[in-house]
Amino acid sequence: MNLTKTFRRLATASAVALALGGAAHAEEVTIGFTGPLSGGAALYGENTLEGLRMAAEEINDAGGFDVDGENYTIDIESLDDKYSPSQAAVNGKRLVQQYDAPIIFTPHSGGTFALQAFNERDGFLIMSYTSVPAVTAKGNELTVKIPPNFTDYLTPFTKITMDRFGKKLGVANATHDYAKYWTKEFVPVWRKAGGDVVSMNPMDYNKSADFYTGVSKVLSEDPDVLFVGGASEPTGLVVRQARELGFKGGFVIMDQAKMDEVAKVSGGLESLEGSVGVVPLAEYNTPGAERFVKLWQEKHDGVATSETAYHYFAMYLIMHAMQEAGSVDDPRAIRAAIPQALAKVDPKHNPYDVTDVTEDGNLGADPQIAEVVDGKVVIRETADYKD
Amino acid sequence: MDAFLQQALNGLTLGSIYGLVALGLTLVYGILHVPNFAHGALYMVGAYVSYFIMVEHGLNYWVAMLGAGLVVALLSVLCERLVFHPLRHAPPIHDKIAAIGILLFLEALVQMHWGADFRRMPTPYTEIFNFGGLTLPAQRLLIIVGAFSLMGALHLYLKKTMTGSTIIAMAQNREGAFLVGIDANRVAMMTFAIAGFLAAVGATLFAPINLVYPAMGHLVIMKAFVIIILGGMGSIPGAIVGGLIIGFAEALGGYYLSGTYKDLIAFVLLVAILSIKPTGLFTKGVR
Repeated sequence: MNLTKTFRRLATASAVALALGGAAHAEEVTIGFTGPLSGGAALYGENTLEGLRMAAEEINDAGGFDVDGENYTIDIESLDDKYSPSQAAVNGKRLVQQYDAPIIFTPHSGGTFALQAFNERDGFLIMSYTSVPAVTAKGNELTVKIPPNFTDYLTPFTKITMDRFGKKLGVANATHDYAKYWTKEFVPVWRKAGGDVVSMNPMDYNKSADFYTGVSKVLSEDPDVLFVGGASEPTGLVVRQARELGFKGGFVIMDQAKMDEVAKVSGGLESLEGSVGVVPLAEYNTPGAERFVKLWQEKHDGVATSETAYHYFAMYLIMHAMQEAGSVDDPRAIRAAIPQALAKVDPKHNPYDVTDVTEDGNLGADPQIAEVVDGKVVIRETADYKD
Repeated sequence: MDAFLQQALNGLTLGSIYGLVALGLTLVYGILHVPNFAHGALYMVGAYVSYFIMVEHGLNYWVAMLGAGLVVALLSVLCERLVFHPLRHAPPIHDKIAAIGILLFLEALVQMHWGADFRRMPTPYTEIFNFGGLTLPAQRLLIIVGAFSLMGALHLYLKKTMTGSTIIAMAQNREGAFLVGIDANRVAMMTFAIAGFLAAVGATLFAPINLVYPAMGHLVIMKAFVIIILGGMGSIPGAIVGGLIIGFAEALGGYYLSGTYKDLIAFVLLVAILSIKPTGLFTKGVR
């Protein structure tokens, strides 16, 4: 009885909604997403997608947006690629052919490279969330890279920790591809600054039951600074165990790990004294960051992450780019309008205060970094540490 | 010398946890005669139950350990009653498939409730002891002492009590055990309960120095399988000695040879031991 009533109401409501929707002539623009939504990286993939969803919901609830006199709402089509580049390529084809998506987001470098094989020909813009510089350095005309290059961190990280603790570096980061890539770039920068790499013992952060052995091996050469990093929580364990084994120096934390999450496992910010890493979202003092953290807490448990905040911003950015370009389906015009669109994004939608885009499509130039001094996070500008 | 002792201590910590998990696995093998792939999931559930009791409800660590032990023992018995018992006349492959099913089910269940995030269970014992250059946090000491006392208690139970003897009898010779009037159902349930209890206590001991997450069982169960093959399927001293061998191999090999190859060292040892003694180190138990 009750059920039929509810059903009838629902039917009436949707009929009304349909009629209203029809009256407003709202068209839909489909934004594609391919990323890991199952498997080990599922949480990361969901976080990135959630940023897009949060922005799209706000835009749609506010009545959509106008391009060239026409009103549009955003529809996100998300496909799972389980972190696999080949699956990302298949998803990309599907998103373009089946859903007519002019823009595809992907939160990993492998997926980006796979999509770049055909995006210029098939005509879609890639919004890539990865800090691997090669994504934009290769000259793909339809790629925008959202976060900063990790290579921007290398010199400041080196200078800050070397000045404070000394020249001997111990490498104890993880063993996956991204970590190896970091090590390959970071070690030469450290050496060039007059430093010495005394021990090198990367560990599998996801498959080790215990880090005591690995950490004590690195510490046996008495380094001043430890280079650590992988997923945040295991990184926290490595830091904790290094402190337990009597390590007094500083940590260089790879940008994959987030300082606030590391601190939760490692025993508070005190245990991270002298560490350098990327700035936790909660420490960014922009109005956009504060608003975003609140917005996140309204509907979610846990801390808001940078990947969610960046995606939230990126969705607003492409909305403005479509308006500036006067088109929702010409990826080249949308890409060309990004510099003007950046100026239009409301600061409250821009937690990281992104204001520039380089010629080749890199949004995150000159990022800030965080150093732990006397148990507190201090923000530094990478621009101050350039050679 | 310090470095060697430090690594030996690390090996002992790891080895005692591996041993505890392997003990449960080997006991159940004695009954089922197939490896119980779901054992790692029981270990993981044990850690989550402790987390639930201690972190989410603020109770004492020891209460959490006991609670987790009892809950997982019950869960383990349920698996036996609802899954393995009805399959007792089926071909062994069915047990294996069922075990994998339980493993996937428990992992998905935990992930549904707690999500895939890493969680941390703090230890109430945060002191760090220093003995002339050796670092030993209290929790690690607790792991070693706790694991070995449990092994000792299990040994006494199996050797000195009637119920314990029936478990051994079943493992040694099924038909013989039936002939002397041992109740197979009771023994099977008892064994599963003990195995579940050991896994949960092992997980609660180990969780404070590691993280709690749905896939945490994989790591330990892989090692536990190597251990029971190395020590001899179904053999109790084999599980303990095997656990220590793998623990020491990881710690010492990881330090003196290479951290990257520490798992390789464990498997090379396995190959070496099996080529000398193809049935494992201690095989008087089953087969």
